[in-house]
Amino acid sequence: MSSFAATNSVTPSNAASATVSPLIARQLSLSYGRNSARRTVIEGLDLELPAGQVTAIVGPNGCGKSTLLASLARLHVPHRGTVLLDGRDIQRLPARDMAQRLALLPQETHAPEGLTAAELIRFGRQPHQSLFKQWSREDRRVVDEALTAADLHELADRPLDAMSGGQRQRAWIAMAIAQQTPLLLLDEPTSALDLGHQLEVFELIRDLAASGKTLAMVVHDLVSACRFADYLVAMRDGKIVAAGKPSEVVTAELVRDLYGVECTLMLDPATGSPLLTNIRSTRHSR
Amino acid sequence: MPMKTHSLTPPACPMNRDDTAVTPPPGSWRLSWTLGGRDHSMLIERRACFACLGLLAVLLAVCLLSLCLGSVALSPRQALAGLFGHGEPMSVFVVQELRLVRLAAGVATGAAFSLSGCLMQTLARNRLATPGIVGIDNGATAFAVASVVGLGTSLAPPPMALAGAATATAITFALANDVGTRGYRFIVTGIGVGAVFGALTQLLMARVAIDTANAAYPWTVGSLNARDGTALTWLWCGLAIGLLAACYLSRAMRVLRFSDAVAQGLGYRVRGCRYLALVVSVALAALAVAVAGPVGLVGLIGPEIARQLSSHRGISLIASALSGAIIMVASDLVGRLLLAPIEVPVGIVTAIVGSPFLLWILLRPAPRFQS
Repeated sequence: MSSFAATNSVTPSNAASATVSPLIARQLSLSYGRNSARRTVIEGLDLELPAGQVTAIVGPNGCGKSTLLASLARLHVPHRGTVLLDGRDIQRLPARDMAQRLALLPQETHAPEGLTAAELIRFGRQPHQSLFKQWSREDRRVVDEALTAADLHELADRPLDAMSGGQRQRAWIAMAIAQQTPLLLLDEPTSALDLGHQLEVFELIRDLAASGKTLAMVVHDLVSACRFADYLVAMRDGKIVAAGKPSEVVTAELVRDLYGVECTLMLDPATGSPLLTNIRSTRHSR
Repeated sequence: MPMKTHSLTPPACPMNRDDTAVTPPPGSWRLSWTLGGRDHSMLIERRACFACLGLLAVLLAVCLLSLCLGSVALSPRQALAGLFGHGEPMSVFVVQELRLVRLAAGVATGAAFSLSGCLMQTLARNRLATPGIVGIDNGATAFAVASVVGLGTSLAPPPMALAGAATATAITFALANDVGTRGYRFIVTGIGVGAVFGALTQLLMARVAIDTANAAYPWTVGSLNARDGTALTWLWCGLAIGLLAACYLSRAMRVLRFSDAVAQGLGYRVRGCRYLALVVSVALAALAVAVAGPVGLVGLIGPEIARQLSSHRGISLIASALSGAIIMVASDLVGRLLLAPIEVPVGIVTAIVGSPFLLWILLRPAPRFQS
């Protein structure tokens, strides 16, 4: 528990070096199928999420990034290696304990017909409730806070199916906020959104990091990852090929290595984050 | 919990802390009490509560009708007097000896089929996934018929029906490989398995003497006429346990509607909940089949009515059980009266009403669980 207190007191910039990571993967091997039909996706991977920062996991399709995120959230059981949440093996952590420390926003989110944003957000309180403790003052306050954080007060009673993609995604994130976990994992939170709605979601993610949460997300778009993450993990073929601050690790070589694409790297004059320009396929030129 | 790292904004209105009452979410009542220094609270959905009360009233009315009507017609007053044992010996006999047991069988089987259906629909996130459709009823029937026609076993129908249902479920699972994530695969496999067991039942009937086949006939269509005292006791016990399990599971089932990933993220042991719900669902269907034969369509219609009456927020398990009981008792009543003195088996009545309903579900554009 003490590590959380420490987490909160450190500024994001030096957090990685100064504090213990809340979520650590050690020699993680992930596979699908069993015995002879086993197909290994990730072999012997090590990863530490820097506390209080936003980590983006990027890589080409099929590189294992979503599988990695699923195993960090205990949805995928590793065949070797461990994931440590505050130093404890998540496979031995009771489901409820885990849900009080780590929230997950899966990629596929569909809700029962007619469910409103406020109702969805209330589900986020489940790990703190029980059969005879269904609605406390604390629950009410936290749900209210989550509505405020995701700027959804006006839309609280609107059914999710009548919302725009960005609003709906904000509602799902608000549900994770209501879970009050120090850690939040997001699987492609902006995958089906247009530019404006993507920005809405990324800004909310930045706000959450500023409030002391540790976040990790799988992101498709490298440029957004560079712009909104403090720490970038680049994966290919189930291995981490580069990890660090986006401005330090993203190079033209890395882009070629990951996606088989040639590009010229520029720094965004406004934010200083890397931009890819003059993109062309290497396969074409061959 | 000691960790409260999240404080994006100060509490919206600090006065709330001093409020003695905690406002419940709209549409619900909050019950709260303090026990041993700890605060407890429960939320009750207003609409679900009204739906259950309404259904209960309808059920009582249908039950009373069922006690009154028949070849000997009784007034409600006579029927009630007969029910409590003080009235003319005639009405006491008709009510207590003839109609009450049948009514008890109708209520219990209807509730069991419907609750079982509702659990499995939620589990598979598909409205078509009910024990009747995925062949579990047929498995139970085949085994029960085997027991009636005395096929080298001396086991009574209820344990045989349980064994049959378990066998059908196991085969379906082994072939479909999963339930939930691949809803349609599970259903299609179940239909196939059910067809095989249905054929097996026919084969058994064809191979035995005509008298034995006659004795086994009600099993194949579903009737409350052939109910068996022991089987009914088994069913009532099973139903009591099933309702308790349903109450325990109702919170988890609400979350399971989203997806397994969301349910697990919210701290539920998804596998455990799924297995428990599946076992309860299969056992209830089997025990009900042991009493009344395969009247599985009740498991499809009952939950649907309950869902229409209750709100989208919860899983209407209790309302499902109540509406199932209503359908069963009402169908049996219609079957008894329609061509009196000939009795139309309840399974045929529900099939006549249920099949168009099934078509409607199949043809309706947006199934509720697949939004």
